Amino acid sequence: MAPTTYSFDRGRIRRALGGLGAIVRQGTSNLLLFVSFSATVLVVASRRSTWRRPVWLEFKRMLNNVAVRSLSTTVATGLLIGVALVSQAVYWLAATGQTGLVGQVIVILLIRELVPILVGLLIFGRNGTATLIELGEAHTGGWLRLFEIQGLDPMVLLVVPRALAFALGAFCMATVLLLSTLLTGYLIAHGLGLIAYSIWDFSDMVQRAMTVRDFIVPPLKCIFIGFFVALVCCATGLGRRDEGDELQRIVPRGFVRSALAILVINGVFDLVG
Amino acid sequence: MARPARSILSLQAATLGERQLSTTTTRIDLELPRGGATLVQVDDEIDAVALVDLCIGLAAPTDGQVRFLGVDWQARGARERLTRRRRIGTVVQTHVWPAHMSVLESVLVARFYHFDRPREEVIAEATALARLFGLPGLPVGRRETTPRRALVRAACVRGFLGAPDLIVVQDQSLEATADLAVPMAQAIAEALDRGATVLWIVESLAAEAARFVTAEQVFRLGDHGLVQVRRR
Repeated sequence: MAPTTYSFDRGRIRRALGGLGAIVRQGTSNLLLFVSFSATVLVVASRRSTWRRPVWLEFKRMLNNVAVRSLSTTVATGLLIGVALVSQAVYWLAATGQTGLVGQVIVILLIRELVPILVGLLIFGRNGTATLIELGEAHTGGWLRLFEIQGLDPMVLLVVPRALAFALGAFCMATVLLLSTLLTGYLIAHGLGLIAYSIWDFSDMVQRAMTVRDFIVPPLKCIFIGFFVALVCCATGLGRRDEGDELQRIVPRGFVRSALAILVINGVFDLVG
Repeated sequence: MARPARSILSLQAATLGERQLSTTTTRIDLELPRGGATLVQVDDEIDAVALVDLCIGLAAPTDGQVRFLGVDWQARGARERLTRRRRIGTVVQTHVWPAHMSVLESVLVARFYHFDRPREEVIAEATALARLFGLPGLPVGRRETTPRRALVRAACVRGFLGAPDLIVVQDQSLEATADLAVPMAQAIAEALDRGATVLWIVESLAAEAARFVTAEQVFRLGDHGLVQVRRR
């Protein structure tokens, strides 16, 4: 019987490895570019000379969009999450006779994990997409060139106010989302007769379950998520350089990148914290 | 012997990049003295845009130098180049307006970004310019809701606002707007009176809008550079 021979198509393997290498190199290069972009934004934002009148105005406009005009969406999300999450947690803990754990469950699920991720998704949906579309036509619409002609630095006038407004706005949104979720959850559970204690006892139970770390890490997580969602949207929007790259395509691209950034930041904080 | 006044803008053997309508390399020598107006006829709009970019330091010449207020654009970093452009007013891309700003904000933004002048003062100056260009006041709406005629005039206000040292004008739609000829000539004359320098790049020297401008120098961009021409 003739021995079995394996023929390796060396060319195909080489091409596959080459393709993989190209993807890795491109990914690393993009990541490094993004890191340097983030560092530049932080350095520029820390300069006093950056905060000229139009930059302040743009920052206030963006903060108003993120924190104030999103208020109804944030409260509505809080109501829905409150109904779904807190009442369910209280119901099942009551069913198993573990109502004493309600504070811990809420802290771990809601404060540490769910609120930062939800805030990231909300901020992308309401404000990130608007930024993507606005900045997506900066190159193709010609107004980025107009800014440079007038000596206006796009990094200072477009990116820095958005990044900081998103960061601060994310913190505000997280506070509103958390309060509305807890309040709704309590009212639902109390209304259904699942818990008998007062709202102050409920608040006390949640606060007792929190450690010092819970007052620092989740807010920081929200601030970082807001900051990076803004950077991703600015970089993706300003990265559209020709009409061939359709405006409709940059929104899903921005969503994928933002979702990835949100999950990575969440993961990093969980690992470090 | 008295030294000649330093040029505001000086192009010394500056080479334009690839041109659409010419196969030869175009070297440009141009001196723009303080307080003078210069007209340059450039047939192709892409060349005209390239010349604007060269003059204001937005693009580097393939060869040669472009000096603004005695300093080579390329000898400065990107940030300083942006800062130096605060002294240049431009009437270009009159159809281009940022999506996220009102026309009013867009007209004023560069003044407030570079200078710390009171808002009322800047608005008063802009309103006076708007009236000069035939508008009842500054357009406050978004670009979508502002008539094209008002946008062209608002772009003129943007270019002349803040008493810049150099004013560069280049937009074909200006030449097609005959009723802008007199206000434009008046605005240029006022700018020259206070010592500014004006460079107007036109598609045709016969254009109605440029007819009333008293220019010290008139050129045409040919295959081998600028050629001095006489206006009738």
